[in-house]
Amino acid sequence: MFKLPRKTLINLTVIASLVLFLSYSLIRLKNPVQKTFKPQLSLVSLLKREIRGIVFYHRNMVENETLQSAVDSLRSRLFDSREIYLENTRLKGLLAFKQKSGLRLVPARIIGRSPDSWSSSATIDKGKYNGIRRGMVAISPRGLVGRVVESADNTSKILLINDPSLGVSSIVQRSRQEGLVNGTLGSNLIMRYLPKDADIVSGDVVVTSGLSQIYPKGLLVGRVVNIGSDLSGLNRYAIIKPAVDCSSIEEVLVIIP
Amino acid sequence: MKKWLLLAVVMALAALQLSWPEFLVFFNARPDLLLIFVIAAVFYLDFKTALVFGIICGLLKDAFLPGDFGINTILFSVWCYAIWKLGRQISTEHDLVRFAIVFIAAFLNSIITGVQSANLGNFIPAGIFLRNLIIPSLYTAALSPLIFKLTKKITV
Repeated sequence: MFKLPRKTLINLTVIASLVLFLSYSLIRLKNPVQKTFKPQLSLVSLLKREIRGIVFYHRNMVENETLQSAVDSLRSRLFDSREIYLENTRLKGLLAFKQKSGLRLVPARIIGRSPDSWSSSATIDKGKYNGIRRGMVAISPRGLVGRVVESADNTSKILLINDPSLGVSSIVQRSRQEGLVNGTLGSNLIMRYLPKDADIVSGDVVVTSGLSQIYPKGLLVGRVVNIGSDLSGLNRYAIIKPAVDCSSIEEVLVIIP
Repeated sequence: MKKWLLLAVVMALAALQLSWPEFLVFFNARPDLLLIFVIAAVFYLDFKTALVFGIICGLLKDAFLPGDFGINTILFSVWCYAIWKLGRQISTEHDLVRFAIVFIAAFLNSIITGVQSANLGNFIPAGIFLRNLIIPSLYTAALSPLIFKLTKKITV
């Protein structure tokens, strides 16, 4: 079955070499390919949003009513918090003398997602022209979203926080216990390398530690939902529900350092 | 002309795969439309053209994945060759056979990609690993008749 004539063997070798060459040349092809796809992806994204609006009309109507009542309730709360806000503004003004946040943010829309199930990434509609570079951090008002791993002229690729290859040095806000948060490709994250006697309980808030100097300190990562011991029994791990739902996020803010 | 039309289909499928609607995502699984197209190309086109489409689809998929090595470019070419070779040994006319071929190709593709990811030191829980192997492969196989029909319509 697999006895091949000499000519076929040569042809196969040439094709295999070509394929290998193309695979290694991929990095040079990425920018033009992503550039070509940007308008199509933006169009599909727009169409998808419109179609979803029509298909889920009833659900949206009910959701609108619920949200309207929530808005009314929040409006009254907002009035109460106005006083607190004014006080906070004054205190912040004082604090600003000592410390400035210095975060410069670039808003971007997600126009594409990972084409396979083994990674969790997203393509955004901003790139080098907007000052976005590899290694920058993406956040949302809810917390940490991920990190820019590739930047083309008009688009960038973000590795989302639930990707297993993304590690974030984090601490438990209450006890300042350090650990490394990784994605699992599922809906939760895992915080590893916690000592056996780590002071961590369910419900604890986990934020970035700032130790890696990639992620600014204090960005919300998520909340601890479960704690366990690893197979060796030497370390513990914590399951964390991320603050940001990576599967439904549509816009991000990229921090320009 | 036909080949340009097929190229347009590849572009459309890639765009659809990248922005697959969330309400059609089951257990975090998205179908691999480009893989189905590559297999359909082997069934309905000559081997050389199918191989070219295999390489294009692999490159497209790799361009939107994190990482600098084009594993899908290699895998898609290998599936092209293997399925073409298989097509000369057994009859691939029956729908069930084609369904099985797509499922097996998607499953093997998933195993290789998953093992590669785990080999890089990424922690993936066993349940999620198995889920990522089986559900996207089944989903891909389930959608294959649609793309087979489309490819047949253009090529025949």
